[in-house]
Amino acid sequence: MASKVIMPKQGLQMTEGTIISWLAKEGDVVEEGKPLFEMETDKLTIEITAPATGTLLKIVREEGDVVPITELIAVIGEAGEDISSLVAAPAAPPQQATSGSVTQRVFASPRARWRSEEAGLDPATLAGSGPEGLIIEKDVLAAIDSRPAATPLARQAAQETGVNLTDIAGSGPRGKVYRRDIVVPVYHTQREDRLIKLSGMRRVISERMRQSLDSAAQAVHRIEVDMSEAVRLRNNLKAAEISVSFNDIILKSVARALLCHPRMNSRLTDGGILELGDVNIGMAVAVNDGLLVPVIRNTDTLSLVKIRGESRRLAEAARTGTLGPDELQGGTFSVSNLGMFELNSFTAIINSPESGILAIGAIKDMAVVVDGEIVSRPMCGLSLTYDHRVIDGAPAAGFLREVKNLLENPYLLI
Amino acid sequence: MDKKTILKVYETMLTIRKFEECALKLFEENKLRGSVHLSIGQEAVPAATGTFLRDEDYITSTHRGHGHAIAKGARVDLAMAELMGKTTGYCGGRGGSMHIAEVEKGNLGANAIVGAGIPHATGAALSARIRGTDQVAVTYFGDGASNEGIFHETLNMASLWNLPVVFICENNQFGLSTPQSKACSVKDIAVRAGAYDMPGEVVDGNDVFAVEKAFLKAVKRAKEGKGPTLLEMKTYRWKGHWTGDPEVYRTREEVEAWKKKCPILRLEKHMVDKGVMSTAEIANKHKEVDGVIRKAEEFALTSPEPDPATVLDNVYFGEVN
Amino acid sequence: MSIKKYAVAIRDVIAEEMRSDSSIFVMGEDIGPQGGIFGCTRGLLDEFGENRIIDTPISEAGFTGVGIGAALTGMRPIIEFMYMDFTYEAMDQILNQAAKLRYMYGGKATLPLVIRGQQGIGRGNAGTHSQSVEAFFTHIPGLKVVQPSGARDAAGLLRTAIRDNNPIMFFEHKALYANSEEVPDDTDFSIPFGVADVKREGGDVTIIATSLMVGRALEAADILAKDSIQAEVVDPRTILPLDMDTINASVRKTGRAVVVHEAHKTNGVGAEIASRIMEDSFKYLDAPVTRLGAKACTLPFNLVLENAVVPGVDDIVAAVQNISYR
Repeated sequence: MASKVIMPKQGLQMTEGTIISWLAKEGDVVEEGKPLFEMETDKLTIEITAPATGTLLKIVREEGDVVPITELIAVIGEAGEDISSLVAAPAAPPQQATSGSVTQRVFASPRARWRSEEAGLDPATLAGSGPEGLIIEKDVLAAIDSRPAATPLARQAAQETGVNLTDIAGSGPRGKVYRRDIVVPVYHTQREDRLIKLSGMRRVISERMRQSLDSAAQAVHRIEVDMSEAVRLRNNLKAAEISVSFNDIILKSVARALLCHPRMNSRLTDGGILELGDVNIGMAVAVNDGLLVPVIRNTDTLSLVKIRGESRRLAEAARTGTLGPDELQGGTFSVSNLGMFELNSFTAIINSPESGILAIGAIKDMAVVVDGEIVSRPMCGLSLTYDHRVIDGAPAAGFLREVKNLLENPYLLI
Repeated sequence: MDKKTILKVYETMLTIRKFEECALKLFEENKLRGSVHLSIGQEAVPAATGTFLRDEDYITSTHRGHGHAIAKGARVDLAMAELMGKTTGYCGGRGGSMHIAEVEKGNLGANAIVGAGIPHATGAALSARIRGTDQVAVTYFGDGASNEGIFHETLNMASLWNLPVVFICENNQFGLSTPQSKACSVKDIAVRAGAYDMPGEVVDGNDVFAVEKAFLKAVKRAKEGKGPTLLEMKTYRWKGHWTGDPEVYRTREEVEAWKKKCPILRLEKHMVDKGVMSTAEIANKHKEVDGVIRKAEEFALTSPEPDPATVLDNVYFGEVN
Repeated sequence: MSIKKYAVAIRDVIAEEMRSDSSIFVMGEDIGPQGGIFGCTRGLLDEFGENRIIDTPISEAGFTGVGIGAALTGMRPIIEFMYMDFTYEAMDQILNQAAKLRYMYGGKATLPLVIRGQQGIGRGNAGTHSQSVEAFFTHIPGLKVVQPSGARDAAGLLRTAIRDNNPIMFFEHKALYANSEEVPDDTDFSIPFGVADVKREGGDVTIIATSLMVGRALEAADILAKDSIQAEVVDPRTILPLDMDTINASVRKTGRAVVVHEAHKTNGVGAEIASRIMEDSFKYLDAPVTRLGAKACTLPFNLVLENAVVPGVDDIVAAVQNISYR
C-alpha cells in the first residue's frame, strides 16, 4: 500500500512551504524517519523525514515549488505499484495533515524519558528491557555509561557536524571530549574549495543584514560594567538551588531599562516612530551555519526564574530546530551574547525593524581603579547599536547607563 | 414572674415571631436559600427557658433553632445574615439557618441532624461537673428525635451520672409529615424519662408560665446535683416542616384551632388583664420589634458575600501541614 | 530512654498528659477497674479517680457525642473505642459532628478530642472485629488520622494528638501492643503530624507502609536486599495530614513505589497515596505504582484464611520484584 507524502504544517501560522531540495530521487529506497526533503517557511528551513519506508515512486512537486500545507508532494510505495489513483487524487483533506510526521510510538517509562532528556539521548534509539519492551531507566543509564564522556557543548557540536563521538580522541581527563576536539578536526578535513548553496536560512540572514544596514542609521555606544554584584546574585541563587545565567540577568536588566527608555523599544513606520507597548526581547542563538532570534514575550513581566526557563527552552528549541514560527516573531529589541568566545566586546547589526541591539562580551577579571586602589573586578563590555533615525546619542547613552546601573545594583530588579 | 421578667419573655417571643416571618418573606422573595425551618407558634418554649439561662449555661438546638439562639441572646442581625449566608453571619455563611452557634455565649450550636445535639449538651454538663462549676446544660429537640437511639443512649448516661442537663422535647406534633402517634410507641414522650429513672413532665408548651415553672424546677434539680429532667413541651408548628411543604398531613381546621392557642396572644391577653401592659403599649412594642427586625434584614441584605478564597478556612484549627 | 511495650507507652503518655492538664479525661468501655481490655488505661482510675476515668455504657454514639460536648466546652477528652470497628456505631457523631462543627460554626468551635483504640488482625476476631477502618475517616475533611507502627511513634504521636486542638482519630493495632521499643522518658517527647519516617533507606524501590505493615515491609526489605534490591521503607505515621514531601522525595530517588496497608485495597488510603505520587512525581516513575491491601472480602475467622486476605511479607517481596524488571 503506497503512502502519500504531503506538505506538513510546521507551526501555527504556516499555510504553505517551499520545497528547497529533495534528498532522494525517484526510484531511491527511503527509510521512515530518515530525511526526505528540505523545506522552507518564511522563518525556518527544516528537514522533513520520510513518513514510511519504501521506494520513492513519484515526486509530485519539484524543488522551488511553493505548496500549500497538506497537499501531495510525493508517493512512497513498493516498486512497480500502481499509484495512478493517488497521484490523480485531489489534495488530502486537512484532518490527514499530520500524517507527514507520524512516527512509531516509543514506549518508555516517564523516568526513562526524563533521564534521556537530561542526557540528550533519544529514547527511540534505545532497546527496552522492561515489560513488553518498555524502555526503563536502567536502559538509559546503560546507554549513558556506554557512550564516551563528553561535555554538553561537545555533544551539541557532534550532533551539528554529524561526527560520531566514539571516533574522537578526547583531550580532557580520561579522554573526555570537549567541543574543541570536534570543531577543530572538522575544519581540518576541509582541504578543497567547497561551494555551499544558500540554504533558506542563510539567504534570509543575508537579506536581512543587508537590508538592516541599508535602511537604519546605525551608531554604536560602548560601556564597561562591573559585574561583582551580578556574580554575587547568581552565586546566592545557586546556593538556593536556583540556577540562572548572566545572560538571564542581563535580559531582565535590559527589559527593565527598556521600560524607562521606550524609544529604545520602538520602530520607524511610515506614520512615524511607533513606541511599542510590549517588551519582547529577541535573543540571538547560533545554530548550524545560521542564526535564529527567538523572542521572549513580555520579558519585562517575567521573573528572573521565568526568564531563565524561557531562555533555556528557546535556545534548546533553536538548536534542535523545533522552534515554531510564532516564537520567532514579534521582537522589539534584541540581545546578542558572544561572551563564550572571550570577546571583550563586539558590534552587532540591528535586527530590523527593531531600533536597537545590545551586544554582550565576556565577563573577565580586569584591573580597575576603585576608590584610588587598583583592584580586580569581573568586568563585562556592553555595546549598543542603535538606529540614529529614531534615537539620538544622548538618550541611547542614557539607556545604556541604565542597563549598567541595573547590572551593578541587581537588587533594583526586585 | 415579675413584670420585668414577663416583659423580657414577651419581647423575646415577639422577636422570634417577627424574625421567622421576615425569614419566610425573604425566602419567598428568593433572597435566601436552603431549608428554612420556622418555629412560628412554638415561641413560648425558647422564650420561657432561654431567658432564664446565664451566658455560662449551655444550650444545644435543632434544625428549627432560630428561636433557641435568639432566646439565648443571639443578635438578630447576625442571625439573619447567617440565614442569607453572608460573611457577617454567625458562621460566616458556612452553616446557614440550621447551624447558628455562639459558643462563647453558651450556644453550642443548632444541629441539622435529628438528635445529634442531645449528647453535646450532655457532654457540656459532664464538662461542668468535672470542672466543678454550677453551669447547666439544656438541649432542645423535637418529638421525632425521641425515637433516635442517641436520645436513649444519652438519657441513660445523663441519669446514670446525675448530670446537670435539662432535656426539652418540643413536641410540635409532627416529624416532617408523620404525626407523633404514627412514630412514637407512647402517647406522652415524657414517660420515656421513667425508663432512665429521671423525672418526666408534660407541659403546655404554649403557656409561658407553665414552661417557666417546669423549667426552673428542672434547673434547680440539675444545680443541686440531683440529675437530669425530661420536659415534654406540647406545642404546634403553624407552618410546614419547611417553606414550601404541601402539608397534606393535616387540615386547615387543625392549624386554625392551634392558632387560637397562640402563645403570644395568650401572654398579651394576660398582660392586659393583669395591667402589665396596655393595648397601646403592646402595639408600640410590636412597632419597636418590627423596627429591630427591619434593621436586621437591611443589615443582612447589604452584607457582603463571603470571599471564595476563604472557603478552606476553619476546616481545621491551625495549619494542617 | 525506657524499653516499653506499645500499650504501656500509650498508657504512660495519657497519664503524663493528665498530670499536667486537668482538662484531660478519658471515657470508654471497661477502662476503669478493668484498665481497658488491652491495658491502655491500666492503673489510671486509681490515680485520677472516677471523675476523669469514666467507664461508659455500651453506647458508642452517645459517649462520642458526650465527648464532643465536653470538648466544645473546654475539656480535652480522650475517648477509647474498645475496637475501632465500633466507630461504625458512632459515625454520625464522628463524621457529621466532630469533623464538621468547627467549619459549620464559622471557626468559632474548637474540638480538642482524641478518639483512639485498636484495630486489625491478629486475634481471630472475625469480620466485625479485625478490620482496618482508617480510610473512612480520611474521606471527610476535618479529622486528622494517625497510625503509629511502634511504641516510640505511638508515644510521640499520641502526645501530639492530645495537645492538638482538632478531633484526632488515633488507630492503634492489637497485634502491635506487645511489641517493645525504646521510648524517650521526656514528658514533652512528641512527634509532629505530617512527618513521615524513613524506617529503612534504600535506592531501588520505595515501600510506603502503615501500622502493622511497616514491620512486614522491613522484613520484605531484608529479603529483597539479598536479591540486591535496596528498598526504602517509608512510614507516613499520619495519613491525614500526609507527608507527600518525604514520599515524593523517596520515589523521585527510587523511581518505584509499592504502597501497602492492611485495610482493604479497594478505595483504601493506598489509592490516594498512589495517585498523588503519580500526580506529583510522574516523570520520575520507572514502573507503575503498585498497591497492596486486604483482598475484597470480609476478614475471615480462620488464621490461614486471615493470612490469605491480608498482605504478607512474601506478597510485598513479590510486588517489589514484579516492578523491578530485573
